[in-house]
Amino acid sequence: MSLPSSPLYLDWNGALPVLRKAYDIGLFAMIIGPKGTGKTTLVKAFGAEIGRTLYPVNFSLRTRESHLVGTKTLENGEVGFVDGILVESMKLGGLLYLDELNAAEADVLLRLDEALDDRRQVVLKESEGQTITASKGWTVIATINPLSHVGTKELPPQLLSRFPVRLRLEYPPEEVEVDIIRRHTSIEDSALASVSIGVKLANKLREAAAVEELYYSPSMRETIAFSKLIKSGSEAKYAAQLVFANVYGQWGDVEYRKVMDMITSMFGN
Amino acid sequence: MSEYKYNKLNVTHSSTLEGLTVRDDVLVEIATFLSRRWSDKPKSLVTFTEEANPKTSPDKNQIALPHLRGYAGNRFQKYRQWRVSLWYESMRLKYSTKVLSYDHAFGFVFNALEKKRIESIGLDDWKGMMDEIIFDEGISWLNRPLLNSLYGVQKLLEGFGQLFLTGYIKGELFSSEHDKVAKAVELATSVVQEALASQYQTRWIEEQVPRIIKILQVDPLVLIPFSTIRSRFGISMSESELSRQIEKIVRKRRTAEKNIEKSVDAIVDGTDILPEYETLVRESKRHENEGYENLENMGISIPHRLDVNESEVYDTNLIHKTKAKFKEWRTGWIERHDRFGDEFDSEAFIEFIPTPFIVDLKLTIKTRVMILLDHSSSIQEVELKYKQVTNALCEALSFLGVRFAVYAFSTDGKQVKCWLIKPPNYRWSSICTKRLAQIRASGGTPLAEIYGLLEPMVRSFKPEIFFTLTDGEPSDTDAVRHMVLSFRKIGTHMVALGLGRNLDEAISIGQNLRYLEYERSLAVSKLEDIPKKVIGLLKS
Repeated sequence: MSLPSSPLYLDWNGALPVLRKAYDIGLFAMIIGPKGTGKTTLVKAFGAEIGRTLYPVNFSLRTRESHLVGTKTLENGEVGFVDGILVESMKLGGLLYLDELNAAEADVLLRLDEALDDRRQVVLKESEGQTITASKGWTVIATINPLSHVGTKELPPQLLSRFPVRLRLEYPPEEVEVDIIRRHTSIEDSALASVSIGVKLANKLREAAAVEELYYSPSMRETIAFSKLIKSGSEAKYAAQLVFANVYGQWGDVEYRKVMDMITSMFGN
Repeated sequence: MSEYKYNKLNVTHSSTLEGLTVRDDVLVEIATFLSRRWSDKPKSLVTFTEEANPKTSPDKNQIALPHLRGYAGNRFQKYRQWRVSLWYESMRLKYSTKVLSYDHAFGFVFNALEKKRIESIGLDDWKGMMDEIIFDEGISWLNRPLLNSLYGVQKLLEGFGQLFLTGYIKGELFSSEHDKVAKAVELATSVVQEALASQYQTRWIEEQVPRIIKILQVDPLVLIPFSTIRSRFGISMSESELSRQIEKIVRKRRTAEKNIEKSVDAIVDGTDILPEYETLVRESKRHENEGYENLENMGISIPHRLDVNESEVYDTNLIHKTKAKFKEWRTGWIERHDRFGDEFDSEAFIEFIPTPFIVDLKLTIKTRVMILLDHSSSIQEVELKYKQVTNALCEALSFLGVRFAVYAFSTDGKQVKCWLIKPPNYRWSSICTKRLAQIRASGGTPLAEIYGLLEPMVRSFKPEIFFTLTDGEPSDTDAVRHMVLSFRKIGTHMVALGLGRNLDEAISIGQNLRYLEYERSLAVSKLEDIPKKVIGLLKS
């Protein structure tokens, strides 16, 4: 778990006040959006704002129930129990951050469901039936990727209903994305024109992926990586090829060439 | 100009690419992609026209371009000019609301003004097009008519076009003509500048055209004998002529350019565009080897129209859902508990689960699949949905890396036709969707006849599963039974998918199909369920 920090989050769509409101009235929130739109940065910024310790769990196929509730140990011949991240966050009243919740397996979701209902309690069958009740201020934020993303599943409706405040976080408008990149990379103003073209390119690729004309949609992580390459002295067109075009080579020459054509028309020589 | 570099480029052509052409279907695929991104119109359509000039309809989102053969120079040069035309027309789609005919004076002047306006706006976003525009201007210059060889209105308009669009005139004008042209160009330039500064659009430009026509003193509706924007009858040009012309344009367009010679070299070579062209040629060559020609002899037709808007067949939600349903295959690996394995799961052991080890299983589908789509008249009612569903199925199969071929049958002019949508070695692309989109549902269900036509394909491709999607009983049941058995004998699992309008009908169709010796017959009452059923069956 991590202590709250103040990441460079640009609240371009007014998400922070919504999260604050949900927190003040004791509701859990869910953030829905494609990868790399700044969901994690938003939650970190919110943790810093409310002064709560962040307990992040990144769900995947390999996340087990024991990661959440805890696990039995054998020490000096005695069976003990180490709290999982869910239990620890409940005991200490932290901000539990369930990242990519819809990548979790069904049994994991079941244990979560138990803790998230109005009683805010979880019974540890693994630890002699101990009942854990959440301390005051305990709150939960989940993020989910759209179902078109690899490894995602539909969340069971009862679990969805535990997060009645739902925020959609899409890719920001071009100028906002450039601003976000500027904060993340401290890039010089003279290089902003190239960054701007890179963001424009990323948006074109996102649009093409949305209508199934390309297999992959670049995220803000990629536009930030592109800008970092420029900052380190790479030529813009070459940086665009490295970050945006080469990845399409795995789907064949034509797919790669389509993106290279766009890069050529945008950057020229 | 560096002789070496230019020659090197030609050597590349002669050794690997010369003699090979770019197929229209390959060209249309990449052109459609580029045009949609350039114009920000995700449903724009690129087709070919037999006319000398491009024809764009902003209201219909359509661009029709001349074939590559209509441009001058070698094949690579033709492609570069074609690409520039595509860019201009895409800019028209984005920024113009109207395109007039080049055949009369008013339209000619209007189109020239709009070209200049959209070029200027477009280059803000697509700076890399500048070199290509210069190349296009340079090479087309050599094919522009000499003004001395023209007369009257045609001479004035061509003179105006040349001076306004490129800054030069080819040949001579009499002094009175020159005055008119120069004044008209001066006004046209200020009109475009004002439009750009004040963000005036097409309509405002159109309102200014009479002022220019008045200076030129021509009848706005007078017909121009042949289009003078660009003559496409290629005369072979010398390398040095081309370089000289490009150098002139570079000096005019890039006044700040320090290394003119280097810049001219780069533009003449087109090294940025060459890999794109090579990819198209390679892709075309790959398609040439698919034996399309022989298919016609076997009675299998290829839907050949390229002016079909395939976007209506894309139901992106359904495609996403279908892909999402089966995407765990795409991720490649899944975890399973087993009696032995790579990782010990202590929790499972403590809880006395007999399979405490975790193993990773790779998910692959090595199946070869053939799909036959019924396009008989009974499909008409749900034709669009049926095509959308088929497209989603094929997108998902392609996404999962399954090798598959798709055929369809319908009746065209009283003749039963078996259509090739996707051959086994071809990836699923917008060309396949175009083919699917243009087949009209009509006629009966002569399954046995179609199976007969497909037999050579089945024997060579050897699909492990052959899916037949049909909504009715075949007209010749005994013959179908015979064909199904003969396919089964060569090791192909025959599966029929009955499409019913409701559950009862689907079940009854499914039962009837079972009597036709299919190994499995499934019934579907909701078209959306087809992808799920087909891929689910492959998974099992």
